[in-house]
Amino acid sequence: MAGKRQRGYRQLVEADIDLMPMMNLFVAIIPMLLISAVFLKVTVIDMDAPAPSQSAAGSPELMLSIAIKKDRYVVEWEGSAPTTIDRGEDGADKRLADVLSSIVAGQPARKDVIIVSEPSTRYADIVAVMDISRASGLPAASLLGAQ
Amino acid sequence: MARYSTRSARRRKSLRGGQQVRLTSMMDILTTLLLFLLKSFVLEGEVLNPVPGVNLPQSTSEAAAQPSVTIAIFGDAVMMDGEMVASIKDATADRDLVIPGLAERLDHARAQAEEIARLRGSDEPFLGRVAIQGDRDINFSILQRVMYTCSSSGYESISLAVIGPS
Repeated sequence: MAGKRQRGYRQLVEADIDLMPMMNLFVAIIPMLLISAVFLKVTVIDMDAPAPSQSAAGSPELMLSIAIKKDRYVVEWEGSAPTTIDRGEDGADKRLADVLSSIVAGQPARKDVIIVSEPSTRYADIVAVMDISRASGLPAASLLGAQ
Repeated sequence: MARYSTRSARRRKSLRGGQQVRLTSMMDILTTLLLFLLKSFVLEGEVLNPVPGVNLPQSTSEAAAQPSVTIAIFGDAVMMDGEMVASIKDATADRDLVIPGLAERLDHARAQAEEIARLRGSDEPFLGRVAIQGDRDINFSILQRVMYTCSSSGYESISLAVIGPS
């Protein structure tokens, strides 16, 4: 009786799946995938180069421009009164997005915006303003320098 | 006596390697790792490799990079295809927007690309693609000069490399 039970148990153990071939496969696949894994995705912002004749100009009229000053954003368009947003206050980026969205709502065909930066403006700030303008429906951003 | 013989039998069995290593938990780890890596696997490969030392800015842009000439701007160096072509301090010292060292390298690269296209008999026009990998802390003054130099050397299609949303 006891021998019978033991034999049954042994059969159960021998029916275990042999995991070694799968382990071998995993050990080969995982280093290959680890080598080719991309943890930081590098993307690009396509943009128009400033035309050589325009580079030294200020904010041209009949154009939508965002000037990044040291402490504020100045949005000018179609010769209207400029809108100034204090960069230091909370939600400045949100306010800039709202201003741009309202301009785009009035002129749905407009796709271009000129970002006017000072020589000391940080690159990361320019990219942030480009992101805001793209999110507001102005994908074609070009850069100009304020002299 | 019987108890002794059972124990020695068990010992002999373990010495022969009769007991198997339990692999189930390891298999669990490997399966999870495999799924994670398969999810992040990019089939088309990396077109644009980040230059070491450059902290690219974060952005919401999802546009994929195209094969192009790469210019890296970081620290005090402007580098093209892995070689330093100008220093930021010298490039921004005067009001001239063209960086001579960079312009020379760009013209050389353009001449090479056009020569290769001619030898291959291809009638594709010169695309003039350039990707700028700028550190997030650089100033606009150097970026403007690099962009101006690119456009005056015939590289009109400029892309700014950024870290996309993950």
